[in-house]
Amino acid sequence: MTPLDKTSKIDKRKRRSQFIAFTLFKLMSYSVVAMLILILGFITTKGIGVINWEFLTTAPQEGMTKGGIYPAIIGTLVLVLGSSLFSFPIGIMSGIYMNEYATNSKLAAFIRVMTNNLSGVPSVVFGLFGMALFVNTMGFGDSILAGSLTLGLLSLPLVIRTTEESLKAIDFSFREGSLALGATKLQTIRKVILPMAFPNIITGLILSIGRVSGETAPILFTVAAYFLPKLPHSIFDQVMALPYHLYVISTSGTDIEASRGIAYGTALVLIAIVLIVNLLANFLRTFFSKRVKMN
Amino acid sequence: MLTVEAKNVDFYYSDFHALKNISLEVEKNKVVAFIGPSGCGKSTFLRILNRMNDLIDGTRMTGSVLIEGEDIYAPNVRVDELRKKVGMVFQKPNPFPKTIFENIAYGLRVNGIKDNSFIEQRVEESLKSAALWDEVKDKLKKSAFALSGGQQQRLCIARALAISPKVVLMDEPASALDPISTAKIEELIYELKKDYTIIIVTHNMQQASRVSDKTAYFYLGELIEYDDTTKIFTNPQKESTQNYITGRFG
Repeated sequence: MTPLDKTSKIDKRKRRSQFIAFTLFKLMSYSVVAMLILILGFITTKGIGVINWEFLTTAPQEGMTKGGIYPAIIGTLVLVLGSSLFSFPIGIMSGIYMNEYATNSKLAAFIRVMTNNLSGVPSVVFGLFGMALFVNTMGFGDSILAGSLTLGLLSLPLVIRTTEESLKAIDFSFREGSLALGATKLQTIRKVILPMAFPNIITGLILSIGRVSGETAPILFTVAAYFLPKLPHSIFDQVMALPYHLYVISTSGTDIEASRGIAYGTALVLIAIVLIVNLLANFLRTFFSKRVKMN
Repeated sequence: MLTVEAKNVDFYYSDFHALKNISLEVEKNKVVAFIGPSGCGKSTFLRILNRMNDLIDGTRMTGSVLIEGEDIYAPNVRVDELRKKVGMVFQKPNPFPKTIFENIAYGLRVNGIKDNSFIEQRVEESLKSAALWDEVKDKLKKSAFALSGGQQQRLCIARALAISPKVVLMDEPASALDPISTAKIEELIYELKKDYTIIIVTHNMQQASRVSDKTAYFYLGELIEYDDTTKIFTNPQKESTQNYITGRFG
């Protein structure tokens, strides 16, 4: 009897371990979804009651126990826009430089290490840094400008990294094909490589928006107002913001119990904004994938 | 008339001496095949002719290469202009993710041509030269990725022809294709030599003997023998060549 004759027993054993492993994988992934649904369901059932047109369009009243969250919604949108204006161009251009121009240089390696480290820095440290640099040293004060720049710094590593990875995923043969036709490097990047990488870059940008809109610590010392029931007039004004508002009415509001409903409502609005942004990302991704005729 | 004149070319990838003192001349409107076992330097030499090796870090070249009498490694040479003159077709078809039309128009557009009627005319001419027009004339607005591998490769040939190069370099253009597509490419090469000088790298001995006027045999970075194709395949002067073409190694 050779070892090969005993295979039926081995077959049974390997099928069993495969079954166990796959069942485990399946259970784990289901439980992730279950937790997500649980959180969403919890927030939704608790928060849906306070959501109405008035809640979305009026300022907080009576010590933030009544009224709406309109200034905080606008504040968050303004901060997202402001930080994007700062981080997207800088991040995308740095990503292009690192992948297309300075691939193996020491400088690129250095920038890469720095951005990786930057993405590991806790967000509250960004907040402190933003306060020191933008609020105090540069004299912007607590303002949309200071908050946007701080949030922009926070999302910069993510933008750079996704840009670089998206470009890296494009096969070198496309670059060769373009250069061999007498195109310059810039033309190659602009007309061939960027359009191909764009759907993935967009995804990275949107993810960074998701992160920025939910951050509390970086805006704490740089822009967020505890209570400011009017809209900003310039980039040097303070604003309320959803995550900070949520934090305030859950921990240090005038009457935490009375604000509980509003807190869940605020959380729901925040989640909804992130969800809408993600759906938009998917839509844009498909849109741009179709524009570069991949098939 | 000489289209390509390489003199004493040495080439290094970092420390690796990939080409050793290569001198070779190519006449106008001829097809020259580069053969030799993998790693012998034939593709490296091909890529020297349109300075594609510039894209690889840590490479170094000495010697000179003249294309139509001009030193292409002279300091004042603009690489993009050189590549307009010396087109290239790669081993794996690499059409852009654009429409068939835009794939061909690309080379014209990046070289500053905006005249749409001229572009349309060039697209049609190039596709006809690459024997692809009849297959794609009704779907010029479709993605190039929808074409078969063989069609994609002919599209890449058409793309190279659109900017009217003097020399067309082909790096194993049929190695990723089925026999029917390969036959089409070979027929095409035969047609194209009326208007272009063609240099083709191939692993396929029959292909070299079918399409080329002259054949260069490379081995371990050296040019072992360079002569008329019929002579190389019937009466090679060097034993190494003899061994390679009869399939004793390689």
